[in-house]
Amino acid sequence: MAALGRQVCDWHRLTALSWACLSRRTPHLRERRRMSPSLFCKLTTVCSGESLQESSCVRPKKYVLDPEYSTQLVPCLHGEQRTRVEPKSSELEKVISSLQDMGFDEAHVNSLLSMQPTVHPQQLLDIISEFLLLGLHPEPVFMAMKKSPQLLKLSTVQMKKRSSYLRKLGLGEGKLKSLLHGCPEVFTMRQRDIESVVKVLKEKCLFTVQQITELLHRCPAVFQEDPSKLEYKFQYAYFRMGIKQRDIVRSDFLQYSVTKIKQRHMYLERLGRYQTPDKKGQTQIPNPLLKDILRVSEDEFLARTACSSAEEFEVFKKLLEREEEESESHVSEEEEEDEEEEEL
Amino acid sequence: MAAPVVRGVRKLLKLVDFTPVPRRHRYKKKWATTEPEFPASRLALQNFDMTYSVQFGDLWPSIRVSLLSEQKYSALVNNFDAWDNVSAKLEHLGAKDFVKEAISPQELEPESDLSPPPSLNYSPNLRCFTFPRGDISRFPPARLGSLGLMDYYLMDAASLLPVLALGLQPGDTVLDLCAAPGGKTLALLQTGCCRNLAANDLSTSRTGRLQKVLHSYVPQDIREGNQVRVTSWDGRRWGELEGDTYDRVLVDVPCTTDRHSLHEEENNIFQRSRKKERQMLPMLQVQLLAAGLLATKPGGHVVYSTCSLSHLQNEYVVQGAIELLANQYSVKVQVEDLSHFRKLFMDTFSFFPSCQVGELVIPNLMANFGPMYFCKMHRLP
Repeated sequence: MAALGRQVCDWHRLTALSWACLSRRTPHLRERRRMSPSLFCKLTTVCSGESLQESSCVRPKKYVLDPEYSTQLVPCLHGEQRTRVEPKSSELEKVISSLQDMGFDEAHVNSLLSMQPTVHPQQLLDIISEFLLLGLHPEPVFMAMKKSPQLLKLSTVQMKKRSSYLRKLGLGEGKLKSLLHGCPEVFTMRQRDIESVVKVLKEKCLFTVQQITELLHRCPAVFQEDPSKLEYKFQYAYFRMGIKQRDIVRSDFLQYSVTKIKQRHMYLERLGRYQTPDKKGQTQIPNPLLKDILRVSEDEFLARTACSSAEEFEVFKKLLEREEEESESHVSEEEEEDEEEEEL
Repeated sequence: MAAPVVRGVRKLLKLVDFTPVPRRHRYKKKWATTEPEFPASRLALQNFDMTYSVQFGDLWPSIRVSLLSEQKYSALVNNFDAWDNVSAKLEHLGAKDFVKEAISPQELEPESDLSPPPSLNYSPNLRCFTFPRGDISRFPPARLGSLGLMDYYLMDAASLLPVLALGLQPGDTVLDLCAAPGGKTLALLQTGCCRNLAANDLSTSRTGRLQKVLHSYVPQDIREGNQVRVTSWDGRRWGELEGDTYDRVLVDVPCTTDRHSLHEEENNIFQRSRKKERQMLPMLQVQLLAAGLLATKPGGHVVYSTCSLSHLQNEYVVQGAIELLANQYSVKVQVEDLSHFRKLFMDTFSFFPSCQVGELVIPNLMANFGPMYFCKMHRLP
């Protein structure tokens, strides 16, 4: 499976590079290319000498999977690589033009080049083309680069390794876009950290493989969570709120902070509007839907779900914060209570 | 070899099976781990959910969340210590004397011709500091002042209201029928009006606590003179012991202590073993209140108070006791209207708007005091 993935990757790369190479040789077509992908498609078919009308440029996945087509492109690629050994300025020019060929406009290209001045332009080009080969469009790639410029420092090998790992997790093609949007760091993180998160989800939280895929797709921020905190959050949902794994995935539960979850849940619980279901999943009162607790804004939560006032909730949040602090340092609290004399 | 052993075991099992217990009484006992573990505080919460959601309707959720969250304290300044220093210190912390704030504008009123009815006076000299609404700061623990006494007493601010409502006047003889643990008794002494204070509580361990509080807050000469008397008698018999004796009587009865019952497991009144006792509480309360009323001089005043939200322990007890006295002792008792009093303290406490008799402070997160019910009665001459 992984091997196939890597292969597919390679084919992707080939096409894009040939694309760049072709358009350079036919400069008059460069401007037009962006507005008419079908034209480009025709050109490539000329190169391969076959009619591939059913494969369209807009869906690279499809024609990449055609092995015959990709093998035809190999000589083309070699030609390209040979011509690359040239002085620096013209090399930069080449990078710029290739970037433009990939669909970045001039402003994007300039800011891309200025993001990480230490990175060699060729490496930059390689990494960006790698992203495009993964089936991403220039616009989201640019946004991700802007969000975390250290992506440009990646080597293509690392990048390939990571993308094939993500593919193994079920995060291929379409899902990569939201992943890159939600958590671009997933490409720069250490493999060990990602693996420990996935391990917690799989072994401690007992999510199924499909659930993990959906979960990571829906809330990519989970990748960056501390595994022990992630486990605590899960346990809070499972044991304290009585939510099953399926609903944790569906409600995007893990994307919210523990503080927010606790505040809203405990407030409802103490108001008497939320009960932890028993082992048969029954409660004496109907619990509000999870989306009405977490997904809504605070005003809406107070007005519709909690039916309470904002000032009371503010005080509650402060009290809860203190309670949490003190439950952590239990000993000191007890001392304090001994000293206070109480009267009811 | 094995076969006879098995047979023997079977025989034994059969013997066990034919125990003299009839089949209908035999049951398989549950393991301790599978038996539902139901702490008394949870029983209390269930009980409250059932009764109070009916009694308070839409107000109940807000009361519930307040009861389950940390309560707010107030600092009753010890007048026997250097009170002005202490007041300044408390003000520096950002706290305010809620008694002064409530009553000082009222003192201006007689000039504007709106003099309050003469029965509505307040126990004087009480200084009690709280933090403003919504402020959750805490007071540091009380310290020993220069005179060897503690500088302030931390208590629920609502506990002061019954004492304030009692309206002590200089030279009164006062009875505190259920005095322990001593917050209200201390407040009674702080007014400086008690010519004589009798503090009683049935349980000796509780009067022990009361003695301890008095010891650390009240100077020796007041404690050991005949100004304060601590006893451990049955309060229900006070009418026979000292009938028609006191000017002011505070009847702060044992109740379900709603807030306490939700947090404390030890000795919780909602334990299954104390069910009978709990059911008998309203009866006990009526008897205590009747005894308190009988111990009052004709023309004297009584304040009945509880820290429960339940009507059964509040309004119904007051009505029941008044009826009892009218029927059995032909003593006439009149309930005094405290709505004026309520208006004064509206800024500090939230009151339940529709009590038939008396006033009820309901907990609210903005001012998490109470619950505290109090009702003032006048024994007609």
